[in-house]
Amino acid sequence: MKKILLLILIVLVGINFTACEPEFASPISDSDYTSGNADFSNYVAVGNSLTAGYTNGSLYKSAQSNSYPSIIAERMQLAGGGAFTQPYLDDDTKDVGGMLLAGNPILLPKYIINASTGGPEPINEVPTMDVTNIHPGPYNNMGVPGAKIFHLGAPGYGNLANLATGAANPYFVRMASSPNAAVIQDAASQSPSFFTLWIGNNDVLSFATSGGIGVNQTGNMDPTTYGPNDITDPTVFGAVYSQLLDALTASGAKGVVATIPDVSSIPFFTTIPYACIPLTDQPTVDALNGAYLQYNQGLQLALANSLITAAEASKRTITFALGANAIVHEDEYLTDLSGLGMPSIRQANADDLIPLTAKGIIGVPDPNNPQMIHGITIPLADQWVLVKDEIDMVRTAGTAFNAAITQLAATKDLPVADMAATMQQMSNGLSVEDGAIYTADYFNGLNMDNLVFGLDGVHPAPRGYAIIANSLIKIINKEYQSNLPLVVAATYPTFDVLTSN
Amino acid sequence: MKKLLVVLVFLSFGSIYAGGYRVALQGQRMLGMGHAGLSVFSNTETAFFNPAGLSFLDKNFSISFGFSGIMSNVKYQNAQYNQTAETNSPMGTPFYLYMSYRTSDQVTMGLAVYTPFGNSVEWEEDWAGSSIVNSISMKVFYIQPSLAYKFSNNFSVGASLIIAYGSVDYNKNINRYLTDESGNKTDATVNSGTVGAAGYSFSMAYKPSDNFSMGLNYRSSVILDAKYGTAEFDDVPEFLSNRLKKAAISAKLPMPAELGVGLSFKPFDKMLVALDYNYTYWSIYEELKIEFKNGLPPSVSEKNFHNTSTFRIGTEYAINDKINVRAGYYYDQSPSTEGYFSPETPSLDSDNYTFGIGYQMKKLAIDLSFLYVDGKERTDYTYVRGEGPSAYRFGGTYVSNAIIPGIGLTYAFDK
Repeated sequence: MKKILLLILIVLVGINFTACEPEFASPISDSDYTSGNADFSNYVAVGNSLTAGYTNGSLYKSAQSNSYPSIIAERMQLAGGGAFTQPYLDDDTKDVGGMLLAGNPILLPKYIINASTGGPEPINEVPTMDVTNIHPGPYNNMGVPGAKIFHLGAPGYGNLANLATGAANPYFVRMASSPNAAVIQDAASQSPSFFTLWIGNNDVLSFATSGGIGVNQTGNMDPTTYGPNDITDPTVFGAVYSQLLDALTASGAKGVVATIPDVSSIPFFTTIPYACIPLTDQPTVDALNGAYLQYNQGLQLALANSLITAAEASKRTITFALGANAIVHEDEYLTDLSGLGMPSIRQANADDLIPLTAKGIIGVPDPNNPQMIHGITIPLADQWVLVKDEIDMVRTAGTAFNAAITQLAATKDLPVADMAATMQQMSNGLSVEDGAIYTADYFNGLNMDNLVFGLDGVHPAPRGYAIIANSLIKIINKEYQSNLPLVVAATYPTFDVLTSN
Repeated sequence: MKKLLVVLVFLSFGSIYAGGYRVALQGQRMLGMGHAGLSVFSNTETAFFNPAGLSFLDKNFSISFGFSGIMSNVKYQNAQYNQTAETNSPMGTPFYLYMSYRTSDQVTMGLAVYTPFGNSVEWEEDWAGSSIVNSISMKVFYIQPSLAYKFSNNFSVGASLIIAYGSVDYNKNINRYLTDESGNKTDATVNSGTVGAAGYSFSMAYKPSDNFSMGLNYRSSVILDAKYGTAEFDDVPEFLSNRLKKAAISAKLPMPAELGVGLSFKPFDKMLVALDYNYTYWSIYEELKIEFKNGLPPSVSEKNFHNTSTFRIGTEYAINDKINVRAGYYYDQSPSTEGYFSPETPSLDSDNYTFGIGYQMKKLAIDLSFLYVDGKERTDYTYVRGEGPSAYRFGGTYVSNAIIPGIGLTYAFDK
């Protein structure tokens, strides 16, 4: 009997070991993460749509949860970070974005892929967010979609009454602390302990995405005279940027500033090749060459009369062959030969960029005259091509903006995040920390696995914002000796695919 | 206690992450001694450890039954991404049933039914590695009839047939991002169905005196070829509902061959010491390839296991003619190769400590055993395919342990 009891005792001792768990030599705990020399207790992010979390052509509720500032703020909470508020979007009940003004749609809802047609299109839902549904801030996320740099300091940018004249922004109307508060005032009034500033994209991008129909305002120091698709003067840019930094660092905050990307690094411009007209039969080739024979002969005549240079004559000569051919388009920067009855047209070349929106017009026949096809026998209008001259204007301004950002950041001892480089990589082929490879090549089949841009071709998808958040976290860790953990970009969504729309 | 006890069969398995998915719990007496039974021919458990040793059993008829309870825990962490996870695997109960019957002076027959391989890992749902594994459950049992032939007073050989049955259930998320319209991660469950296959074993036993013996045993590999498996998908977004639906699959599950040599001796009358060496041919497990019969591309996961060694030492001490106490230690190598360390078989090098106690009555014996597995912390990674053209790396630091008590009964008599 005693022996049986002894046996039972041994078994019970054995079972007591079940509470025993394996232990790491250095177990991770949340307290491992620190803010180093920075203070994350009140983080404010200032910027435009890229900062707001805008993607797939709209700002919608679930996208806002994946904005890069909210991703960074979540990580900051492990190291003294406080709450991070974002503008009210709870009235986006269907999670589709878009915008109404007193019940009338003024902004389209988000793009989705319609699996039955294969292409991106706005989701077939009516937006529920209304501009008049005002929930005043300020908010930690002061990203305002569409804002140019001088808008950030403009009082009245959030005033409903100014919406009609275009002097106000519907997103800021909803979130401004008061109708005449300026974006930067709302940001600075929070006495941030840490900030990020990423602004300047729209100051060149709106010109670029409109196909260059705006005005290059370099030399014009009065932003109140600018149109919505104009390029901002770099001196104006620099002056405003300096004021922004002064306001944000006034209470001793540290932060990170970011440069703006080059137009060639967003799929909006790199998806459609300039030679996107495939010709497969010789008779069509001959017919087209015949159609432009008179024009080409006119060019030779102009050359003979020294009206144009040999280089221009060569650039303007329109020829077709079997295979891929360049589209034909108007170019306002060519020598005006209207006196000879000749239009300013030519074929696109490798120095030009075709915006994504041109997809809807290239190859489309004229309904009244089906023999005439846009991009082949009907030259594309100015807005459908970003010609080299326009690209040069954009690049010159963009380079000047980035130079100002870098120089002003140095005066304030702030690190500069090279978003120009990051977004270039995201477009060409980016390999992230865990070896996954991402590109912008998303119109070659529906491959969600390695995409990081959204369906509008301009904004990153939430997964792309995660990559941007990681690159900013790495800069913050390096500069301020913090050790914030990264996020796994692959776990973030891209866009929705619906079986029908 | 003249009636045989009713045999309870549990076919679920816990996890011991030392030697791959080998579950080395084939006898409570031998387990108490570090599972070093290759040269110990004193009890029915030799029907598994070394069938040739059946020739040296004391009684002409014996039957032995036992089972263990596996409670194990694996932990994962990664500081770069602030990720932690641990398994919550159900308790497993591997079992064995052995019989021996001496038909003549030279011939003894044996039958062994046991569970040499198994795996049951259950991570938290949607954990950091969920696109590799959420849960996996593998059950394998062998039925091994043997014949031992005694050539001389001190030498015997054994030959056995192995009939194996096994099945695997494996659940994982499709990839790291795909969800249905409600945000639930899309996952796949692969089911092999029960598969049968055959193998063999041969063994030798040498016992020149009561104080010394040696043994050798070889079990062949067995490949379970699941031809009629299924894959089912859950939480599929509508646009993929035509592609991701129930499909027939096939996959091969290899059980490696194992060669063992051992010797035992009695330094003095009441004490037995046994030393065993096992060499397991794990390199047979190169990859886990699941082929779909519906046009989906195969899912290939490289494993690149390498052959491993296990070193065992055990002792048994007779307190009196009824009670034996046992203790042992063994070192088990992980078959995982660096750079191919995958969390569905989180196998770590381990130190293993065993204890046991046995109580012998006239015909019936009861044996208790206890094993503690101490898995050594390992930082490693694997490459994962399935997201675009490139493979991504998944890794972190793992540590594990297991607590395994066991109980067994033996009934032996001469007729």
